Amino acid sequence: MPIMNNVYRQRAAEKPLVTLDDYRAAGGYTALPKALADVEPDDLQYVFMRSGLRGRGGAGFPMGKKASFLPKDSKKAKYVVCNADESEPGTFKDRDIMAFNPFQLLEGITLAGYAIGAERGYIYIRGEYEHQARVLDDAVRQARAAGLLGEGILKSTLNFDITVYRGAGAYICGEETALLESLEGKRGQPRLKPPFPAVAGLYQSPTLINNVETLAALPPIVENGADWYAALGPEKSPGSKVFSISGHVMRPGNYEIVLGETTLRELIFVHAGGLRPGRRVKAVWVGGSSVPVLGEGHLDTPLDYESIQAAGSALGSGGCIVMDDSGCIVRASLRLATFYRHESCGKCSPCREGTTWLEKLLMRMIAGEARMEDLEMMETLFGRISGKTLCPLAEGAVAPIKSALNMFRDDFVRVVENGSPRPEPMMAGA
Amino acid sequence: MADYAPVDLTAENLVSFELNGEKVQAPAGTMLVDACHALGVEVPIFCYEPRIGPPVGACRMCLVEVEGMRGLQTACSTPVQPDMVVRTTSELATQGQESVLELLLANHPLDCPVCDKGGECPLQDRTFRFGPGKSRFHESKRHFLKPVELSSRIALDRERCISCFRCVRFSQEVAQDGQLTMQERGGRSEIATFSGDAYEARFTGNIIDVCPVGALTSIPYRFVARPWDVTNTPSVCGLCPVGCNTELTLREGVVRRVSGRDEPNYAVEEGWLCDVGRWAYDSADHTGRLHRAVVRDANGARETNMADALSAATLVLQRADGPVGILLGPAATVEEAAIALDLAGGALRGAVVARLGIPAGPLAPLRATRRAEMGDIDDAQTVIVVGGDPSLQQPVVELRLRKAALRRGARIVTVGSRRTGLADVAEHVDAAPGALHAAISDIAARIAASAEPVVLWDEAELAAEPAAADALATAIAANGAARQIELGQDPNGAGLRALGIPATGLRDALAAGRLGALITVHADPRSAPGRDAWDAALGDVPVVSVATHVDATTDRATVVLPSLTLWEQEGTLVSMTGRAQRVRRGADGPDGAAPGWEILIALGHYLGAPPAYRTPGAAFAAAAKAHPGLGGLTYDDMGTLGAPLPPPAADHLAGDAGESVAAGSAGLALVAVRDVHAGRAAQGSEALLAFHAPAAARVSAATAERARLTDGATARISSPHGEATLPVRVAPGLPDDAVFVALGTPGAAPESLLGPDRGPVRVELRP
Repeated sequence: MPIMNNVYRQRAAEKPLVTLDDYRAAGGYTALPKALADVEPDDLQYVFMRSGLRGRGGAGFPMGKKASFLPKDSKKAKYVVCNADESEPGTFKDRDIMAFNPFQLLEGITLAGYAIGAERGYIYIRGEYEHQARVLDDAVRQARAAGLLGEGILKSTLNFDITVYRGAGAYICGEETALLESLEGKRGQPRLKPPFPAVAGLYQSPTLINNVETLAALPPIVENGADWYAALGPEKSPGSKVFSISGHVMRPGNYEIVLGETTLRELIFVHAGGLRPGRRVKAVWVGGSSVPVLGEGHLDTPLDYESIQAAGSALGSGGCIVMDDSGCIVRASLRLATFYRHESCGKCSPCREGTTWLEKLLMRMIAGEARMEDLEMMETLFGRISGKTLCPLAEGAVAPIKSALNMFRDDFVRVVENGSPRPEPMMAGA
Repeated sequence: MADYAPVDLTAENLVSFELNGEKVQAPAGTMLVDACHALGVEVPIFCYEPRIGPPVGACRMCLVEVEGMRGLQTACSTPVQPDMVVRTTSELATQGQESVLELLLANHPLDCPVCDKGGECPLQDRTFRFGPGKSRFHESKRHFLKPVELSSRIALDRERCISCFRCVRFSQEVAQDGQLTMQERGGRSEIATFSGDAYEARFTGNIIDVCPVGALTSIPYRFVARPWDVTNTPSVCGLCPVGCNTELTLREGVVRRVSGRDEPNYAVEEGWLCDVGRWAYDSADHTGRLHRAVVRDANGARETNMADALSAATLVLQRADGPVGILLGPAATVEEAAIALDLAGGALRGAVVARLGIPAGPLAPLRATRRAEMGDIDDAQTVIVVGGDPSLQQPVVELRLRKAALRRGARIVTVGSRRTGLADVAEHVDAAPGALHAAISDIAARIAASAEPVVLWDEAELAAEPAAADALATAIAANGAARQIELGQDPNGAGLRALGIPATGLRDALAAGRLGALITVHADPRSAPGRDAWDAALGDVPVVSVATHVDATTDRATVVLPSLTLWEQEGTLVSMTGRAQRVRRGADGPDGAAPGWEILIALGHYLGAPPAYRTPGAAFAAAAKAHPGLGGLTYDDMGTLGAPLPPPAADHLAGDAGESVAAGSAGLALVAVRDVHAGRAAQGSEALLAFHAPAAARVSAATAERARLTDGATARISSPHGEATLPVRVAPGLPDDAVFVALGTPGAAPESLLGPDRGPVRVELRP
């Protein structure tokens, strides 16, 4: 059972809130009636803005600001799109929010739709999340039956409905413009920006696109006020955030913490139960796999956007992957390279060719067939890819491997000299 | 391939910016790549292709530095803004360009020595100029089975592909045939068709032209020549009246390839060719090509040399019992026609000259309304297509209309008896076959209600309905800003009319026994519409035939003078929009043949009254002086892109009217379409095997049933003009009580059903 006690409150933590009655009993659907009764759409956008809520999908862009980019005078239909294509390695927070608290997401999307003047929302959900898609479908049905979706919501003039759309299994579709392409029924590949989705998004119409965790944070913000949320955590990184922690820890899972109040060390050793006996932290990818790696020396960094950035990484999606000193950093880098090579959509050349090359280089290193020059080659290869691509996917491939080479150069040199033998399989509970 | 869009540096709204340290000017909003190109600075590109659509930023080749913007920008998608500071050759930009090229080459097989593209390959050229110069990729390259047949005409080498998406975007956004796609993803991406079937459509060959590497190559051209041992000649396609500008690739005196020009003619075809225009060049040599002259007498036919045949022709003409007729075919050049007119005024004084085509009289007022060129469709908000089916008859028109519809949301309206190839982008107004007049008030209202409409009208269908043609002319003239484009039938119909040559008169004179001999120039009246009437009129009149291939007329001609084709000889064709364009000499052609113009000049010499010129250029110059319709143009004026002729006056050829035969209302309406895919060039081309299909009469299911015919059964069709036997094809989307036939298919003779002056025809359909 995930521990989400604050914003993603499991008020009745004993059971998932998958029926409307349970969600209401836990205090749900108080924000929407309040907003419809008392708050004008523009004021609601201002509430989002003042709350300081930042996008929880990875980029951390202020949500209210994003909503304000939608043109006010557009004659086209507007859309809210919820990015539920949670595919970042090590990230599984949205999965639990959707499985255990689907109505909070629906309420949040509806609030966003009301704020921007949309009549249609889409949840683009990762194809593998079959259970969550069913839960959401069922929740949408219940909400419609109760007049919480559809025409004249809660007897107001608001018309808003939500469609759950399942992806077909591509990491790239988590990138917002690729997601929109896929949602339109096309091949999932990023679009050239500008124009940004706020201006020309779904069907070339103004579109607000946000992550599950971001949109699900809206009901409590509306309920308790922007000031309440802004007061949680540090000024620039207010609010709480769910961290998915996995890897060499005793209690992997989702943990909601207030930003800035918890250090990486506390997350690993208090919440996640620490490492196996006798092990030390070797490497941590704190915000999913696409961020620069951190080491043992960074463990006392507070978990908030600014502090993690100052430490040389990024908070990203909050998918915290921990590797202890039994792991080989070069092998881990290869695993990541393989992932990004496999997920590169192939639209732009530096990513398509660069990720392929990177994987082949690392494979040679692991096999002990590389030379020292290959390390310098790899370094220049990062520069060949970085800053040249259409979307951030390739940057995500470069960041963890480049930082690993910087931080653990000795390990790379050793592997180039000797190769890296296949590790013993890890025993369950060992 | 037109890599960069044309930029008008003399426009009024220029803004200043800094490019590589120099102050320059370009129109605001121009994409940086295009502005740089116009200013003489090359920014390398691969995926950018302004003709295909907006930039996609996929290849990342055009990275440049723009001050104030973080990192590098793709110049293909960055518009020019006032006072911006751009560096295309700075260390950062150079590093970006080198990076992309090194990565593109990582998996490229570098099999340039055996690649058809080698030597004319943008990847090669740009690597030479912008590449890192050294490969550091030691890993194994990506491998695919190579090559595979994307279609019967196009080979696909996936190893060479750099995934620029140009071909896919052409298929999706230009031809909109929806067939090509990128399959798989990342490094395993490959070009394929959605269905897995061959890529068969009407415009597929353009993907070869736009491919910046050797991934897509022409199968007929495969391993035929290296770019450094060919000559490329700009020419014009003579298969339909659109007048697409082409480039002929010649090796050892043979046309080996026809492609769109690197510098397209934006007023005409915009660089796109239809597959017939691209690949039918091999039909010049197909069975039936006349390699030697033929003289026929009481003892039968014998092959001989040109001089001997010219002597024989001279005898025929000198001994003719009465004046001579000269009949010019639909693709006879302006020069050939002008020389024929000069013969009629000199050596063959009193000769009657006519063209094989549709009488111009009924269309004179319509042709005198304000004309548009194909390029003008790009700016139109409303395009109305009255009759016809350009997809089959003037194929490249379809691409312009699709572009207008898809890229600018222009409204396309088709009016006629059946859904055309544009059905998916056009609004359709139904009019029964031969009943455009019933829709004319609707059309007129639409023209009146549109801001600057362009009206495309079908020559054959409107000539058959003079009242509708007049009403259309009135409607176009009434809207001061409306313009029209004729969807003509004949590759040089406009050129022959500009010389004042009528379609009528000659056959009547023949039938009345007033003519003593006939010269045909690329004309085959015995296979043309109204062939039975022509046969009757010709009787035993001796014929001298200037022709490229054996046909029904050469089979019975007294003298056959073998001519070169439009892939082999010089000349001028005037497109349906009135643009005079030069056809240039390509292949050598058979040794025994000569250019048509040369044969006609020689005839003048043999007849003792030679014209005052010896070359096509001089013949054209003389014609331009003599015929105001040519507007005093010279070869220099035409250059490589042609020049428009003055529009015809409202009474030009007004008297060129055929017999008006009332069609009556009994029987089924006959719709005869000059489908280039069914014509002799396409059907005689080995490369275009995929288009080969037997001639057929196409009818709706109900029509077939009423005539007690099933799909594939043989039908006897009769009209007041003649009879034909054709297999029946039941086709969807056709109106009832109508029979559709294609003209010009070898071995079929639906032309018998038509009158020589065309006009409406009704037929009976029987098993």
